[in-house]
Amino acid sequence: MSTYSELQLDALGELANIGSGTAATALSSMIGLPVDVSVPNALALPLADAVEAAGPPEQYVTAVALPVVGDLEGIVLMIFSPENARRLCEVLGVEADTEMGRSALSEIGNIVGASYLGALGATIGQTIEPGPPEAATDMLGALVSTILAASADTSDVALLLDSALRVEGGNDATISFILVPSTQSVRGLLDLLGLQ
Amino acid sequence: MVRMGELATAAKGGAVLVSIGLGSCIGLALLDRAGGVAGLAHVMLPATPSDGDGGTPGKFGDTAVPALLAALVRQGARPSRLEAVLVGGARMFSIGSSMDIGARNDEAARAALAAHRIPVRAADTRGSTGRTIRVDPSSGTVTVKAAGGKAARLYPAA
Repeated sequence: MSTYSELQLDALGELANIGSGTAATALSSMIGLPVDVSVPNALALPLADAVEAAGPPEQYVTAVALPVVGDLEGIVLMIFSPENARRLCEVLGVEADTEMGRSALSEIGNIVGASYLGALGATIGQTIEPGPPEAATDMLGALVSTILAASADTSDVALLLDSALRVEGGNDATISFILVPSTQSVRGLLDLLGLQ
Repeated sequence: MVRMGELATAAKGGAVLVSIGLGSCIGLALLDRAGGVAGLAHVMLPATPSDGDGGTPGKFGDTAVPALLAALVRQGARPSRLEAVLVGGARMFSIGSSMDIGARNDEAARAALAAHRIPVRAADTRGSTGRTIRVDPSSGTVTVKAAGGKAARLYPAA
């Protein structure tokens, strides 16, 4: 199945909503700043479009990738603009663009990812956890396309559950949180939701 | 713009072919410099899967070479004059470390090129940084810009 109905996308969007609400709370506790969450998008897009949906491919960003393990397979990608990376590192008392800075962002990714996936899992009665996080600073297109190549396997359509976390008080506050489930996992998910 | 899984050709006076943000993907450029035509494929995975999900021709290393070759010949290129340049195939994350897709893409592209007897004249591959490739059919040149660096001509050597 390479296309999803509106009903299926709505249901997946609902799951993403539950996950991101919990994630926003976790992030807020961690950094001591209010964090808002936008209504998530469940997007089923051809691969090239999926890369563009994440943002301009030449933009430099720091991204934290976490493999998803357990009853769901896939990858989570958290994308921080340079401004955001700097702010969050500042809040945590480390310098951005250093080993410590990347480590701090990885840790944020880990905690936010764990709460997102935990909430998702709890909602559908499955065990879902993040594996070890990894941070990289590079062109957005290079990072997203690499993740899609690793998880979209043979499908020509990538399913992205995309949430935007807004950290209050800054100019450019949005952190993108994208879950890319493996094609097989999506089938499993929809099955559980009774929407196959 | 040649996006993931796509391929395109251009002739002298025509568009510069660009792939922005090559991570594990390979930008596979073929040039017939004397003939003034060039092509670029943005290869995502090494080989067409056995269950036969075709996908776009530029997506897989094994199908991108013959597809690009055919498109270039249609534009007047002479196969014997074709030269290849490879960019990308980086390992951005060690997640999925059991399969280094970038390295496999590089190998698959080289194997397909060898099978079609097209020489690889230059390559800027592997490592862990993203790259952007520009292929200019008018000047017959390939330029690469790595993340955080300056654009530099890769082929012909500057």
